[in-house]
Amino acid sequence: MFTFAIGNLLSRPVRSALSILGLTVAIGGMVGLFSIAGGIDNLVRSTFELIPGLLIQQRGAPVPIFSVLPASWQDELQQIDGVSVVNPEVITRVNVIDDKTIISPPRFLLGFDIESRLKLRRGVYSEKLEQGRFLEQADQGTFNIVVSRQIAEEFEKGVNDTLRVNGYDMRIVGIYHSGSLLLDVNILADIDTVRQMARFDPGSVSCYYIETDDDADQDILQQHIEQRFADRTLQSWEPSLLSLMSPGASDGNPIGAFIRQLDAALRDVPAEPEPPAPVAPSQPSDVESEPDEAADPAAESPVEVRTADDWSDRFREMTGDLDLFLGIMTAIGVSIAVLSIINTMLMSVTERTIEFGILRANGWTRRDIVRLVTFESGLLGVCGGLFGAMVGWGATLVLNANWPDRLHLYAGPELLLFGIAFSTLLGVMGGVYPAWLAARLSPMEAIRRG
Amino acid sequence: MISVQNVVRTLHRGETAIPVLRGISCEIAEGDFTFIVGPSGSGKSTLLYLLGALDEPTDGEITVGGQRFSAMSEPERDAFRRSEVGFIFQSFNLLANLDAVSNVLVPYLPSGQAAARRDEAVELLKRVGLGHRLDHKPGQLSGGEQQRVAIARALLKRPSIVLADEPTGELDSATGEEIFRYLRDLQAEQGSTVVVVTHDQRYIRPTDIVLEIRDGRFVGQASEPAETESP
Repeated sequence: MFTFAIGNLLSRPVRSALSILGLTVAIGGMVGLFSIAGGIDNLVRSTFELIPGLLIQQRGAPVPIFSVLPASWQDELQQIDGVSVVNPEVITRVNVIDDKTIISPPRFLLGFDIESRLKLRRGVYSEKLEQGRFLEQADQGTFNIVVSRQIAEEFEKGVNDTLRVNGYDMRIVGIYHSGSLLLDVNILADIDTVRQMARFDPGSVSCYYIETDDDADQDILQQHIEQRFADRTLQSWEPSLLSLMSPGASDGNPIGAFIRQLDAALRDVPAEPEPPAPVAPSQPSDVESEPDEAADPAAESPVEVRTADDWSDRFREMTGDLDLFLGIMTAIGVSIAVLSIINTMLMSVTERTIEFGILRANGWTRRDIVRLVTFESGLLGVCGGLFGAMVGWGATLVLNANWPDRLHLYAGPELLLFGIAFSTLLGVMGGVYPAWLAARLSPMEAIRRG
Repeated sequence: MISVQNVVRTLHRGETAIPVLRGISCEIAEGDFTFIVGPSGSGKSTLLYLLGALDEPTDGEITVGGQRFSAMSEPERDAFRRSEVGFIFQSFNLLANLDAVSNVLVPYLPSGQAAARRDEAVELLKRVGLGHRLDHKPGQLSGGEQQRVAIARALLKRPSIVLADEPTGELDSATGEEIFRYLRDLQAEQGSTVVVVTHDQRYIRPTDIVLEIRDGRFVGQASEPAETESP
């Protein structure tokens, strides 16, 4: 029956090809769209495989750049069992490089304490160094930087060249390439240098990166750290950059008001009509204030400790919403493709009325007819799925190759196989109604129609 | 033995009822070579399709080899057609995408027995003079060759009944003769009951049974087989 079905499809080559083309476009589009979510997932997974430690940041801050923590907590963190190295970081956005305004892809200045950084057993940037050297103790307080290959190529710089970042001349001493879009956006420098450039409070850090002992259980350590700081209160998180945009302004600043509302929403507390704001956001927020009497004693720790898995989960939530949107977009294309298959098979069935009569006269059952028609439409689905998966996969490779610093699309084997299986299912389903029509004809009626 | 008892077949075109068979009865003995003759629209083909369980009578009963059609389920009728009945049509009705051998094997495609019966199919095609046309598709065969493929297809299953609807209607006289020769040879070998609908009486032999039908009723029989009811 397989040969028979193929022969039937080949006997109408243009129509079959158009049906397959319709499915190819739909499945190719589906693979392409879902490769966005797959790319994010893959990027996050591969990135956090390179960063096996814990990240401590201010609770509620969506990403470390919005977080401010007291610098004095470094020693306290270092005392906790299971903590091997505590590396404070200050992160700020780069707005201008060599007189070019930076919008997309974004660039960040990542300042870290060099001394503790050099103690890390696994340091992604030093491990991925391609040219020059990594930052050393002697670089403390200097404007020496390590940049990604992506940034070096964009500004046509090499080791020992000067890069003007946010108005400061900085000397490139090394070039790294991690291969991750999330990491290759960073310009690495000494923490004090970055503080100075960003006018960041010297007593604060953005976050802490913690390398744990080999035998430490990260989940337990995560809880332990959060509990350790549970009795502290912090100034609510606000983006330091936004604060910098209007230093000292809070009451009359609509953006500040919006941020406070967002903060309140994230912390699940009602926004206060009159913002207290005694402390300007640009001022040090590391004041270990006395326990807030009004605060709920069972309030959450002011810090949150994120493992690589936490980040993955967070991104997965985001991509879950994205998947829903992509699913809706895909459904439109797929619906058109299914209609095309139904149309093709209906025309085929109509033309082959006599053939079905002959088959019935020769003992074929209605079920055999349904099998034949759905098998043919399923074959269209398989072909459409195969071509669509190949086209979608090829497109992701081409797009990634053309925009390596902006795109990370990933069409994994699961997505490709799903595309083929889904297309096959669509093909079979598209053939069910025409098959039913073909099978319900009485054999005599079918033959006489001819 | 084929028994037809008071069979009525009424077709409906819209709300109009068209009586095609008006209560006909006959019996055809096993192994007979029978012709159903009559003018166009007289109900010949309708009766033939009823005998092959391709259609159901509006009233009356058809019994073949003791099996009452009215008592058979649809799958049983499918099985009956698959194993007991060989059809030959006027316009050959071969499948255009299949070669001669595959066309002969059509009844066995769904059950997966086609490969096992391939040698038999080839042998039958050789018997009807198509040994050199095995891999030719219908479009590459003449009318007479296509009809011989159809005969081979009908006979591969060694049917107890061969039903032929105007088998020479689209063929010239010489080819028609040839087709009937093959039909008679194979009928003699396999002992099948052959029922042929035709309006061309040149191929009828004196020993054949002839049922003449007009306006849905039998009007006479040239030869009266034993226990055959008069219309």
